[in-house]
Amino acid sequence: MSRTVEPAAMEPALARRTFLKGLATAVTAPALLAACSSDDTSSDKTPAKGDPNAPADLSFWTWTTNIEKVVDIWNQKNPTQKVTVSRQAQGEDEITKVITAHRAGNAPDLIHAEYQALPVLITNGVAADLSSLAAEVKSAFTDGTWKLVSFGGKTYGIPQDVGPMMMYYREDLFTQYGLQVPKTWDDFAATARQVRQKAPNQYLATFSSGDPGWFAGLAEQAGANWWVNDGGTWTVSINDASTKKVAQFWGDLVNQGILSGKPMYTPEWNKAMSDGTLLAWPSAVWGAGVLEGVAPSTKGKWKMVPMPQWDAGTPATGYWGGSATAIWAKSPHRAPAEKFVKWLNTDPEALDGMISAGGIYPAATAGQSAPSLSKAPNMMPNQPAFFADAAEISKTARGFSWAPNVNVTYSNYSDIFAKAIQSKSDFGAAVDQLQTASVADLKKQGFQVKS
Amino acid sequence: MTTTLVDAPAKTAGKVSRTTTKSRMLPTIILILGAFYCLVPVLWVAVAATKGPTELFTTFSFWPSVHGGFWYNLTHLLDFRDGIFWRWALNSLIYAGLGSVLSVAVSTIAGYALAKYRFPGREVIFLTILAGVLVPQITLAVPQYLLLSKLGLVNSYLSVLLPSIISPYGIYLSRIYAAAVVSDDLLEAGRIDGAGEYRLAWSVGLRPMVPGMVTLLLLQFVAIWNNFLLPYLMIANDRRFPMTVGLYTMLNQGASQPALYSLVVMGVFLSVLPLIALFLFLQRYWRLDLVSGATKG
Amino acid sequence: MRRTSAPYVFVAPAVILLAIFLLVPIGYTVWLSLRASRVTGDGLGLRHEVFVAFDNYKSVLTAPDYVHGLLRMLGYGAIVVPVMLGLALSFALLLDVPRVRLTRFSRISIFLPYAVPGVIASLLWGFLYLPGVSPIRDAASALSLPVPDLLSPNTVLFSVANIGIWGGVGFNMIVLYTAVRGIPQELYDAARVDGASEVQIALRVKLPLITPALVMAGVFAIIATLQVYNEPATLAPLSDSISSSWVPLMAIYRDAFVNNDIYSAAAASVVLALGTLVVSAAALRVLQKRAFGLDR
Repeated sequence: MSRTVEPAAMEPALARRTFLKGLATAVTAPALLAACSSDDTSSDKTPAKGDPNAPADLSFWTWTTNIEKVVDIWNQKNPTQKVTVSRQAQGEDEITKVITAHRAGNAPDLIHAEYQALPVLITNGVAADLSSLAAEVKSAFTDGTWKLVSFGGKTYGIPQDVGPMMMYYREDLFTQYGLQVPKTWDDFAATARQVRQKAPNQYLATFSSGDPGWFAGLAEQAGANWWVNDGGTWTVSINDASTKKVAQFWGDLVNQGILSGKPMYTPEWNKAMSDGTLLAWPSAVWGAGVLEGVAPSTKGKWKMVPMPQWDAGTPATGYWGGSATAIWAKSPHRAPAEKFVKWLNTDPEALDGMISAGGIYPAATAGQSAPSLSKAPNMMPNQPAFFADAAEISKTARGFSWAPNVNVTYSNYSDIFAKAIQSKSDFGAAVDQLQTASVADLKKQGFQVKS
Repeated sequence: MTTTLVDAPAKTAGKVSRTTTKSRMLPTIILILGAFYCLVPVLWVAVAATKGPTELFTTFSFWPSVHGGFWYNLTHLLDFRDGIFWRWALNSLIYAGLGSVLSVAVSTIAGYALAKYRFPGREVIFLTILAGVLVPQITLAVPQYLLLSKLGLVNSYLSVLLPSIISPYGIYLSRIYAAAVVSDDLLEAGRIDGAGEYRLAWSVGLRPMVPGMVTLLLLQFVAIWNNFLLPYLMIANDRRFPMTVGLYTMLNQGASQPALYSLVVMGVFLSVLPLIALFLFLQRYWRLDLVSGATKG
Repeated sequence: MRRTSAPYVFVAPAVILLAIFLLVPIGYTVWLSLRASRVTGDGLGLRHEVFVAFDNYKSVLTAPDYVHGLLRMLGYGAIVVPVMLGLALSFALLLDVPRVRLTRFSRISIFLPYAVPGVIASLLWGFLYLPGVSPIRDAASALSLPVPDLLSPNTVLFSVANIGIWGGVGFNMIVLYTAVRGIPQELYDAARVDGASEVQIALRVKLPLITPALVMAGVFAIIATLQVYNEPATLAPLSDSISSSWVPLMAIYRDAFVNNDIYSAAAASVVLALGTLVVSAAALRVLQKRAFGLDR
């Protein structure tokens, strides 16, 4: 995903020795600033809970499409407890802003965070412990989903949406080239080769160095478990056998030119999805929404099926993305915030709104069989049972838990795999490099890591 | 200083044929090529803005679409989230307009003082001003944010305006310009007549500096209009974003949300139009010779 | 000169704003560069800020990707500065050739890229480079020519440099052109009487006289290219050829905003700033005499 930012228009300058003079005078001032970049030693001292019905003005940083419509419903019902939505950028950009705002003492009350970002928020003292709230709604979510928001026995977020992985393919092109829908990864490789033979300018799929979450989901499907925390010590096994198997499978195909190696979510990728250069897309349940945005001219041509399997007898899939709602540890409106979070993620009216206006796939099990999911997404009128199929697939989804340096790991993933693709080197070795880098960073930050 | 070109054919009667047709065509062709190279991406934006979402990635790049894509993009962009694009445009105008005016005011008087007075600390101040720009804005952004937050100003228009006012380059240019155009003789004469310093600055200093101030205004306007990082970090309320940040958020709504590429392209197209208009309009007033360091003795 | 507080009053607004928004943050950056965030306690233990002296500097200066980024940035500068200034100079001189046509159109067109924000310009060129959507590809295949991959590891440096050049030529051209226009007409006339061709006039008469402007433009260009960020950062997600630390500022951004490690970012910034200081001071010392004509 794009992480592009532009610094202020760079203005040219000259400098002399008085730069250092000016600097010396400035060094005395930072004591001022140091005092205000408060440390996060006391996040467990949660403020007294308070009355959930007390009047409050709550701020909510999120990026879900059209969530204002859902929030409006709440605001009408709770006029003294107004929630104001503010859109920053997505995912990790938003997390950075949240942490910066937290340092300055003005983070929002309600924080929309992807699952893998929660540990970063926790170790920075940003996310509040929501274990008691979680207990109230335990049965609304599956155990697998709770795992995504729980660490060290405590819960730090209420799941909002999940992204179980499934595959989309161009039904029309498969028919045209006489291809079989792959049920296992071996089938997938065979189909990929057929595509290259029959259509030299097209590929079955691409391996993206820009989407670490996608790769993590594929690893999850194969049974990987990258991070385990045991009584305070981390065990990092990014290069376990399952992950290496996945990496080498894709790596061999990419290096032989059977699969493409170009990143997703670029203008070029949009074009490839529109004009059939790519015939299939291992993606997640929200993929239909993305397709609508990037390749609207292909409406009705895609079909969704379960991901190819490693073991046909035990179907499994991973998660790609998905997010939760967290509450700022220092929010002065803790109880009303908790009330809102509970409503947003479990109330049928809220869920319905988020599904139909926001296009998300809810984590709440009740939401997964909501009425608005009874018809197919706009892009796929040819598959009316889309969401029923999705619900079946999501039962087989398995995730893993995250470490506090997921952001560093993900950024390393992009660099390492981009290089591997460019130099056509072994993807298994790339996974080893990723392991090394991730462990080194975790240790550097002061965590206990089992060697 | 718009000197007109004088051919002086009378003096060089026998030699003027040096400027043959060929020697005139070649420079012209090279310049046209240069112009074309510079225009191509801008033209691309104009063409791309005519394509609706289904056409943007499926049609030949440089052929504009006549299927109503332009209208579709325009209406959907202006309609997006109840017309927030207008709000962003207004914000850009406020930040750039107000910011550049304030910046020019501050830079001009500082430049005037640095050029026309000798006082202790003059060089230190000047060089510290220039030295500050060596540190990249990216790292200054977070400390500036923490500071403004301490002052309770984040998320306000001031949080973007105040840092935008300082322009070391502007002060540098003002200093050079003041030294070149403000007459020391007039200042001395004024002092002998008993005029106060402030009065002198206004009557003797200001007038000749106006062309330079207009140039600075344009440069600073463009810089603030195109600025991204500062407002991105300082502003949390998306109703206060300038266009640069607003368009960025439209493009980056998340892996699971569709990117609104065709609307963003339209937004980009619309956002460069005012700047182009500003250039064309203010052409007459620029005096970029102040930037080149006068060569006159 | 009589004593007066006027100059101090005049510079006061600038100095005050400067102190608050530039000096204090710079000082804070230096201070941050000597500290780091470390975790105490168990698995999801909380972070504390501790003093680590020069550890951050050590890890920045020994990180191979940062050093490669520095070298690459110098390479980028070595391409951009001469080419950009060369083109700007050529266009400026060409505009001044007698009776050349369409000067106003050319001048405005070449200046136009200045109106486009850096990120947008990079995105536009990204579209022009990406094989899938690029009109260059369409044109090449229509003419049955091989399609160049402008974002491959071998070509990406030039592709990124091209964006920098494209954006900066116009501004520098106008600067140099106004300098050329400032040359008194009599000087050329003498040369023309002597029978010099336009080319000779340009090289022997005009060029030496605008050298101060050229030098100043050069120094500013060097400093700007040492802080290159927009172009590679915008192109990075579009291709596999640009890493997250391709130039130093990208690594700094990544540390500050992606890895939430403002401390390493601070140290790397100080290193970059000092490096820029050294390079620009050196460049200026070499060219000092010609550069500062004015109020010395």
